[in-house]
Amino acid sequence: MGDSDWQALSARQSGLKACTSCGALQPLADHEPCRDCGAAVHSRRTNSLQRVWAFLIVGVMAYFPANIYPIMKTRSFTGNTTDTILSGVVVLIQSGSYVVALIIFVASICIPVLKFLIIAGLALSLQHDWDISTHNRHRLHAVTEFIGRWSMIDVFVVAVLAALIQLGAIMTIIPGVGINAFAASVIFTMLAASSLDPRLLWDHSNDD
Amino acid sequence: MTIAAGKPEEQTDLNHLVACPGCDLLHHCRTLEKGEYARCRRCGDVIQTRKPHTIDRSLAAVLASIVLLLVSLCLPFLSLSRAGIASSISVLDAVAALWFNHMRWLALLTLAFIVLLPLTRLLLLGWVLWRIRFKRKIRRGMRTAFRWSIRMEPWAMAEIFMVGVVVSLVKISTLANLHTGLAFWSLLILIAISCYINLVLCKDTIWAILTGKR
Repeated sequence: MGDSDWQALSARQSGLKACTSCGALQPLADHEPCRDCGAAVHSRRTNSLQRVWAFLIVGVMAYFPANIYPIMKTRSFTGNTTDTILSGVVVLIQSGSYVVALIIFVASICIPVLKFLIIAGLALSLQHDWDISTHNRHRLHAVTEFIGRWSMIDVFVVAVLAALIQLGAIMTIIPGVGINAFAASVIFTMLAASSLDPRLLWDHSNDD
Repeated sequence: MTIAAGKPEEQTDLNHLVACPGCDLLHHCRTLEKGEYARCRRCGDVIQTRKPHTIDRSLAAVLASIVLLLVSLCLPFLSLSRAGIASSISVLDAVAALWFNHMRWLALLTLAFIVLLPLTRLLLLGWVLWRIRFKRKIRRGMRTAFRWSIRMEPWAMAEIFMVGVVVSLVKISTLANLHTGLAFWSLLILIAISCYINLVLCKDTIWAILTGKR
């Protein structure tokens, strides 16, 4: 920024730490919970990167069975069919519902994979001091945190169908193990994204 | 209106300093006028807001949401008929159906994300706003309640459920005759109102009131 007479200081460099829930500042050395709202205050989230990797690895591991095993089984008098995430998208395309197919493809395949890559990339960039614009990394982190929950669409689709289609001999839909793995994958990736403290990105940054 | 946040000055009162939640940069902030907000000069995140009429507007919206959520949970959102068999289903029916058909994990997930978390969040928020609005005594529990209502935000997934319902509708429209129920429309309105709550709820103003700084 323009002002050359002014040295930008973070709260940490000034010996302060801010409460992430209400914003109140307190001295770094203070180990009390926030005097305003009672939340635990950490200058940077404790073991942020370790938590990110732990949650992310579980999320990625759960994503494989989520795609391999069926998420939905349909039993009807015309026969039994099983659907995986990808075959569900293919069926939607074949039946001509392109918009819905696109929604599911983006929510269940694009968003999770992109999230894995972005979170891993951000964590690696922190560990190895990669020279990437901090502004861009900050924006990427904000987007991943916002968008991650939308992957749950497929879980709710299966829940609604399985609850609704219980017509005995005519037709029954039951969820497959794949959907449990998928839900776990989404939840753990959400935890990974929220474990990454964006303030860490700026600590070693030269950007203004 | 945007204002640039001021510079940190030495030895200032902690109440006039604000650290950016996104990048931890320290700012010296003057008291904002109604409707103003301050952005971080480094990362651009909003560091302080002062939204007008926040208590009245958000309390009204929260109360409306509680009513709509209860309607959405108890009344059927979809009904289908095929070969003379009709079935209609509410969110609570769906959870029960999943539970009793041995899909417990999916039932719990739906119950938590669609019923318990959104409802708890709205009730906590409603309680805090109600007590502020009607000038009741500020209790310490209100700070905890408000803090938790903020933490629950990303995990309340009513709007995502809504998209899920629409997708299911398309998926089985070839198999049976489907009709949307009243709860479908109340869920739709609920999503619009929850966007409105995000717009008018000013966390800084409420924290200032709860901590007695105003």
